[in-house]
Amino acid sequence: MKKRMWLPVCMTMVLSFLLTGTAAQAGNTIKVGIVDTYTGPASTYTNDVRDAFKLATDKINAKGGILGKKIEFVTRDDKFKVDIGLSAAKELIMRENVDILMGTINSGLTLAISDLCEKEKIPFLVTFAKSEKITGEKGNRYVFSMNENTAMAGKAGAAGLAKKPYKKYWISGDDYEYGHAIADSVWNHLKTLRPDVELLGQSWWKVGEPDFTPYITAMLSAKPDAVIIATGGAGCVPFLKASAATGFNKSVPFYMHTATEMSTLAPLGLNAPEGVLGTSNYFYYFPDTPENKAFVKDFKDAYGRYPKVGALYGYITANFIAKAYEKAGEINTEKFINALEGMSIGSPIGELTVRAFDHQVMFPMFMGTTKKVEGYDYLIATDIVTIPGKDVMPSIEDIKKARGVK
Amino acid sequence: MDFASNITLSALFQQTLVGLSRTTILFIVASGLSLILGVLRIPNVAHGSLYMIGAFIMYSVNLFFGGGQAGFWIAVILSPVAVALISLAVERGLFQHLYEREHLMLLLFTFSITLVFGDLVKMIWGSDYRCVDLPSAFQGFFTIFGFPFPRYNLLLIIIGPVVAFALWFLTNKTRIGKIARAAAVDREMVGAVGINVSLIFAAVFVIGCFLAGLGGALVAPTQNIRQGMDHAIIIEAFLIVIMGGLGNIWGALLGALIFGLTDSIGILVWPQFAIVFPYVVVVIVLLFCPKGLLKSTW
Amino acid sequence: MIKKFSWKALFLGLAVFVLLLFVPRYLPRFQVYLFALIFATGLLAVSLNMVLGLGGMYQFHHAVFYGIGAYTVALFITKTSLSPWLGFIAAPFVSALFSLVIGLICVRLSKLYFGMLQISLGSLVWAVVFRWYSFTGGDDGIHGISVPDLISSTGGAYYFSLAVTALCLVIMFRIVNSPFGRSFQAVRDNPERSEAVGINVKRIQLTGMVIAGIFAGVSGSLFVVIEGSVFPELMFWTLSLEIIIMCLLGGWFTFLGPMLGAAIIVLLRTFVGIYTEYWTMILGIVLMLLILFLPQGVLGFFQEKFETDGMKTIREEK
Repeated sequence: MKKRMWLPVCMTMVLSFLLTGTAAQAGNTIKVGIVDTYTGPASTYTNDVRDAFKLATDKINAKGGILGKKIEFVTRDDKFKVDIGLSAAKELIMRENVDILMGTINSGLTLAISDLCEKEKIPFLVTFAKSEKITGEKGNRYVFSMNENTAMAGKAGAAGLAKKPYKKYWISGDDYEYGHAIADSVWNHLKTLRPDVELLGQSWWKVGEPDFTPYITAMLSAKPDAVIIATGGAGCVPFLKASAATGFNKSVPFYMHTATEMSTLAPLGLNAPEGVLGTSNYFYYFPDTPENKAFVKDFKDAYGRYPKVGALYGYITANFIAKAYEKAGEINTEKFINALEGMSIGSPIGELTVRAFDHQVMFPMFMGTTKKVEGYDYLIATDIVTIPGKDVMPSIEDIKKARGVK
Repeated sequence: MDFASNITLSALFQQTLVGLSRTTILFIVASGLSLILGVLRIPNVAHGSLYMIGAFIMYSVNLFFGGGQAGFWIAVILSPVAVALISLAVERGLFQHLYEREHLMLLLFTFSITLVFGDLVKMIWGSDYRCVDLPSAFQGFFTIFGFPFPRYNLLLIIIGPVVAFALWFLTNKTRIGKIARAAAVDREMVGAVGINVSLIFAAVFVIGCFLAGLGGALVAPTQNIRQGMDHAIIIEAFLIVIMGGLGNIWGALLGALIFGLTDSIGILVWPQFAIVFPYVVVVIVLLFCPKGLLKSTW
Repeated sequence: MIKKFSWKALFLGLAVFVLLLFVPRYLPRFQVYLFALIFATGLLAVSLNMVLGLGGMYQFHHAVFYGIGAYTVALFITKTSLSPWLGFIAAPFVSALFSLVIGLICVRLSKLYFGMLQISLGSLVWAVVFRWYSFTGGDDGIHGISVPDLISSTGGAYYFSLAVTALCLVIMFRIVNSPFGRSFQAVRDNPERSEAVGINVKRIQLTGMVIAGIFAGVSGSLFVVIEGSVFPELMFWTLSLEIIIMCLLGGWFTFLGPMLGAAIIVLLRTFVGIYTEYWTMILGIVLMLLILFLPQGVLGFFQEKFETDGMKTIREEK
């Protein structure tokens, strides 16, 4: 009885686990797999992507689907971890046999999946990761970016700052790829636009830094004209909080990408600092067009809340998928990719185009300043200037240079 | 940039003050951890989760009472109490069966509690960032030597020593504190003289967790309350406790001071390397004092 | 943990090995990949158990050595024009070197102090990797690492992992049962007495750490083969906690227990993750129940149940 007992027991346990529900049969559907972060601070952005994607696919399916097939999607939570996400992506490709992969908000994971998708020949539509490497240096035939990236944000920020009189700058941000990439991009473009600017110094904090007061006082002691804050995600809220508590926004003007987004401003209520310069892809109150109003209404009816920027990404992704398959005329990956290259669709913020060369959707950027406005429980962006997509896109020469091709 | 070009005396003073207010939070959290480690010998990884839950409850209670001066103070008091109640349930329900287990097992057990609590927080409060607004009396800042200093941080600097004194009083002047200290040294002995050690342990555990909740409640107004707060604090708290000497409350205070001050002054002196300060400090301290700075109860 | 050599065990081991050789022929590709992942993760857990279970040391940041092994291979392939195979040979040596340095600093301390100092030192290594964009790729990591064609397919990676893991397990088993393994256990059970009978406790512990580091490095290199990516999370402290869980879950007083623990964790997270995003909560509850009712781990439980010959002598008083 001894050892012979437990080995078979364990083996059968493991095997039964392994063999559960092997592969969904290729039915009459188009299957999309979403790997994204649904646990942890980043999930405040990603839930909107998924919900808006569902909204759009429900609509498409109600009209009979694409080429007679319904869109079906499954989600996997990567917990913001590369190994878990990569494993989930493999599961979706190998076991669920998805036609398309979507996600994620983690740039490192996105680059890893992008590489996997190139090998497996599965289209990968990126819906929140902002690294410019995704469609730049590391771009490939199978990866598409359905959101803006650090290069675009930086170019937009530089365009706005160049019009201001500031000369002496300080740069601060999250000490990881995103922060450094945004900062470098803003600074390099600002230097070309305004050769007279001067960098006094920089400070970098660890991602998830809870308290910014010490950094703010350190910045103040350098006496810059303006500060570029390159923080993203969970850092935006506490930074704005600390700048309101120290009056930083009144003593030194600062620019922060995504400062004007609802995910950042809504939690702060009316105590958020005014006059902060920020850029974003989307506001539910701007642009004030019928398309946007209709989208906001649909989203609000379905989920009882206003859509944030992620909702735009999820929504257009579904519509791009539908239109590309229709143009391709059949469910065929290579034809799908050919169709998607250079494709344009209407969206809540106007017509959007996938640039054929690098597979980057050309998003316009809205630059505004935070302000209290009657009728809102939180600050919103005002004096919004639209910087058109073609002006914020990195040039094709730059991308060729990054990829090392001529 | 020149090395340390922008250090002035007033900036240094300012950073010290800011560091002190950070010290308060770190001390409150770390002392609770240290207390539990010292008396119960539990490396309580779930301490960070209780801190996070404290912050979330702070948010909800404050919202329930409509904010303002009253709501704020009610929330500051109620949320650690709520956390203490949760911990009481955990202690009576689970931990009291485990005191004889090895430390690693306890560590793993508390870690599995963090997994459960983490998902519970996600279920209850969702994934949006939350903020607690300060009552208007604490909003804004003082100007000290030309630098702004948030009023609330001043409150924190005052609260820190108060908590430290209360803890000192509790451990040194009350009966329960004396018994707990005795139990930390020799569990069997205390049991042999007819004292219910299990209840004492429960009390210490609850007090320790109360402190985690208090830390969470006090930190809530200064940052955004979100999932993942637990991870960020727990490693710092452990490093502080180790630096100060396991189980030593004053060690926790000293560790928190070193931690808070190196961090804030380091930012001024060498801002590019803020990410490594805490670890470097701990390595240096442990190289010279392998058992922590003050006497450990272990 | 000491096990007498027995023909039965050898036969059983060989039988399992032969069975595993046929896995890629009969199972779908994803399951083959999962098996390979379990081998690599399991090897990592067993290597941790060399110090944790065998030596009773609080190795809290084992993942560093795993990450270093992975990065060594990745950098070898992407930054040099040497043969990639050299990278696989170099990985354990580099890990051993780091193990030695960190060990030299830490080994003077004991228990929790040892563990926390190791976390600090390991986090410093992590911070360097995280920040050194030009060399390590920073927090984005390095992706699309092209391993030799022979082992780049799912099946190739599987056979490579299987062979390497089997070889490493045999070597580790030999180490456990060597005179060194015995003195290491003696040090764990009673350091003072070991010191008194002339064992150099610190040297033994340091040797144990280096050995564990070597095998962690090997399993890191397997990870690169399987996933084709490296990233700083591979050496973050949360992963280290996960490995400790695998050891305790499978049974840290058994040789193969950590392997089983790794398999349970990998399978749980893969398959429960399909049905719910709350799988960490389920994992937490499973862990709690196991600790409450199976304190010696899954494999430990079965061994205690079905084996009468002195396996359980070791788990008292600590």
